[in-house]
Amino acid sequence: MAYLSTTNFTEDKDFIDKWLYTIRTGEMDLSWMKAATEKISPEEANPRRGLTYRDLNLGTYGYTDIPEKVRNNRSYAPRGAEIPEGVPDAQPWVSRKSELWAFNTESYYEEAVSRQWNATTDIPWGRLDGVELPEVTGKALSQLMTFLTEVEMIATDTPAMWLPRLNPDFIEVRAFIASQAMDEARHAEVFRKRALTTGWGLMQASPINEMALKHLRDADSFSEMSVALHLVAEGNVLTLFRFSEYLSPTDVDKKIFRLVMQDEARHVGYGMQHFKYVLGHFPEKREVLHAHLDEAENISFAGAAATELTEAFIILAGGGLKKENIEQGIRITTQFNLKQMQEHFERLDKCGMPERRERSKLYVMYEMGRAAAENAGIKL
Amino acid sequence: MAISFPSTEYFEALKAQMAANEEKFRRLGFIDTTFGVSVGINGKARNFVLEFEVFDLKNVSEVPAIDLKKVDFQIKGDSQVWREMIENIRRNGEADSAHDINTLAHFGERLKVVYDDPDGHDKLYRFMESIQEFFDLSSKLEVSFN
Repeated sequence: MAYLSTTNFTEDKDFIDKWLYTIRTGEMDLSWMKAATEKISPEEANPRRGLTYRDLNLGTYGYTDIPEKVRNNRSYAPRGAEIPEGVPDAQPWVSRKSELWAFNTESYYEEAVSRQWNATTDIPWGRLDGVELPEVTGKALSQLMTFLTEVEMIATDTPAMWLPRLNPDFIEVRAFIASQAMDEARHAEVFRKRALTTGWGLMQASPINEMALKHLRDADSFSEMSVALHLVAEGNVLTLFRFSEYLSPTDVDKKIFRLVMQDEARHVGYGMQHFKYVLGHFPEKREVLHAHLDEAENISFAGAAATELTEAFIILAGGGLKKENIEQGIRITTQFNLKQMQEHFERLDKCGMPERRERSKLYVMYEMGRAAAENAGIKL
Repeated sequence: MAISFPSTEYFEALKAQMAANEEKFRRLGFIDTTFGVSVGINGKARNFVLEFEVFDLKNVSEVPAIDLKKVDFQIKGDSQVWREMIENIRRNGEADSAHDINTLAHFGERLKVVYDDPDGHDKLYRFMESIQEFFDLSSKLEVSFN
């Protein structure tokens, strides 16, 4: 019990007497009905869409006028409610708007809710009946699914652990982060289910990738977490999901990857919009974010090149273990690796950090990999 | 009567099918994106802009050229590739694993996805299943190819 009530109510005579008095007399206080709050009339901007958070962006209930530094609410009082004396301090870590806000935050949440899917019923699992993949393909697919289950478990934990740290005035961001945790839990579910339906069970956990993923949990601020999770990790994983869809040996796998990529792209979208927002509204953070990117890119590079992941991709891309399969697998997997890096720098450029290419060691690796690929005759 | 591809009528027919299959698209969720489709024919291109909003294709227009700053992304390819995709969908009721949009466009060898803003590019993937199901509605159309 880390938090104890300031009063022992079950032994507080005045409190108990008041409770019993109300039961006995029916005399009511009703002071809460005089709350000095605003009366508004929200309407659906588009009845096809329904009543959205954006439709509630009105007056004191809206998000447009949230100040950069929220000082008047450190409790769980909903934004716009009257806050009486005596609400406890919930001790939020993040009360500065620029540290978590993103253009269109509320729409990302509405989209997330509207585009939820069900790993149990929306995947045509029955189509796997009678499907027998060659042993190497089946094992490579299971290895990929084992790796992705690990990824998604950490991706569930990371947004979830930040939720109670965010000031409740940012209800739209909190809702989006909660939806992300649900998305990632569903991804862990669907990848585990697919691994276990390959017929080969799970394969091997990935030490390098777990090291890389652990870094996501250990950010000092929400913005650093977001750049590492939403931009670097999920940006890479989005490219990886598209690549995996391309390589998928069955239409069931294709469906899985099309559905997970939707969620992942939404998380990347939030990450890009937050990154733009923090760079624009909290310029002192730029150097901190560069420093965090230095580490995030370092371990992202190591994770993407981990043997247990790369070899599974080479087999899936090449179709087997013969020399010609491996040559083709290496060619396609190299194209994918370089595409991941290229898209990462494109996103940072567009968010307002074009100087990243000059500073980043990952960019040096990208140019080195690109030159090596061209020398090997790999078309990019 | 067969609907000619590429044409505004083809996309209008898909729009009507999307409305007729509203339950399916409601289940897939909001789709809010505007993208271009470009079909190359003998060194020239016919270009279409599709504007999706909420659960619907709101508007289709044919334009002389696609301005990448006004769309989220553009899918472009030779008419033969589009034809192969549509015929495949008609044969199978949906695109098979070699003919879905992501597979055809992944390395830009058959279809190519071009964009100005990576955030717009990512919308292809944010709404991937809706976009795939939209093109899969071609299975319900009689299509002729010029």
